[in-house]
Amino acid sequence: MEHDKLTPSQFNFIGTILSLFSHEMNNHLAIVKNSVGLIGDFIRLGKTSRKDLQEILKTIQSIENQIEETSYFCDNLSGFGHGMEKPLSTFSVHKCVEELIILLRRLASQRRVQLEKNLSVNIPLIHNNPLMLQFLIFCFIEKNLKRLDDNSKIIIKTTYSNNSIEISIIPKGNFIKDEEGICKDEIYQQLIRQLGGNISQKTAGEEITIQLPISQSSAAT
Amino acid sequence: MSTKVLIVDDEIEFASTLAERLVIRDYDAKAVYTAEDAITAVQSEPPDVVLLDLRMPGANGFEVLSTIKSVDPSIEVILLTGQLKSESVVEGIPTGLFDYIVKPVDIAELVKKINSASEKRNSGTP
Repeated sequence: MEHDKLTPSQFNFIGTILSLFSHEMNNHLAIVKNSVGLIGDFIRLGKTSRKDLQEILKTIQSIENQIEETSYFCDNLSGFGHGMEKPLSTFSVHKCVEELIILLRRLASQRRVQLEKNLSVNIPLIHNNPLMLQFLIFCFIEKNLKRLDDNSKIIIKTTYSNNSIEISIIPKGNFIKDEEGICKDEIYQQLIRQLGGNISQKTAGEEITIQLPISQSSAAT
Repeated sequence: MSTKVLIVDDEIEFASTLAERLVIRDYDAKAVYTAEDAITAVQSEPPDVVLLDLRMPGANGFEVLSTIKSVDPSIEVILLTGQLKSESVVEGIPTGLFDYIVKPVDIAELVKKINSASEKRNSGTP
């Protein structure tokens, strides 16, 4: 029953990630095509002075940089995809957070909000459902993106204590406070139950913390 | 006199390289990377044709289009979009958009569209 309620939102999440990815890839390809075209223009026009050759080398370097950036971007989608292969796996929370930040960068930048990470060192791997965790973090990032003013920031912070990991989503900037508290929503309560953790909110509408145990053998499948 | 083209796209590398490619083809091309800079450029040095990215940080391409048209309705705007089958692009044509081009851009196709847009502006046809 809980799964029936969650599925449309999860499809929406995966759809958002895929459309952002394809938009980003298209931009990367547009840059590479333009740069290759510029080199072609130089060759066709017989531009071979020392200055022109330096310009060509600069353009080649920028294509190489772009390809490296594209490859890194693809690697993050690949990690995200692997997270869906099995419902339960042993994974790094940091990798989950980093993937999400990279994949949501464009969405945040379109809303003029910066996504920042503050990851604690020496956090152990956890056994749980990575897709479900990313979905939950995404929900809180998206909620904040919708209500934050331009030039704001969302910080994703991790800490480790008492055999559990805390992931905090902290809005920095002006926003309308939610008196009810975001995390009271039933859908988030269902998600966190399936992850075997807790959600808490410091003040209404402000910092949200997801607390997860290191091992969650009974997490949702 | 060269056709003045203003490229508006937050992808700096894309916009600056495209400007360079148009300059090589004897256009007076300039790139800006924010909607605010686009409006300033249109007001201070009105171009003949604007190549406008549909999605930019904090700005909707259609709102920018409307502001450009309010400054000078004869400036022709070609939308740059990554969405091949976007209904919103087609819907934008009657609201003052000259045409659109899908990224990655084919330079020969873009040049044709810029020339048509420039001819329309110079002929003064609405």
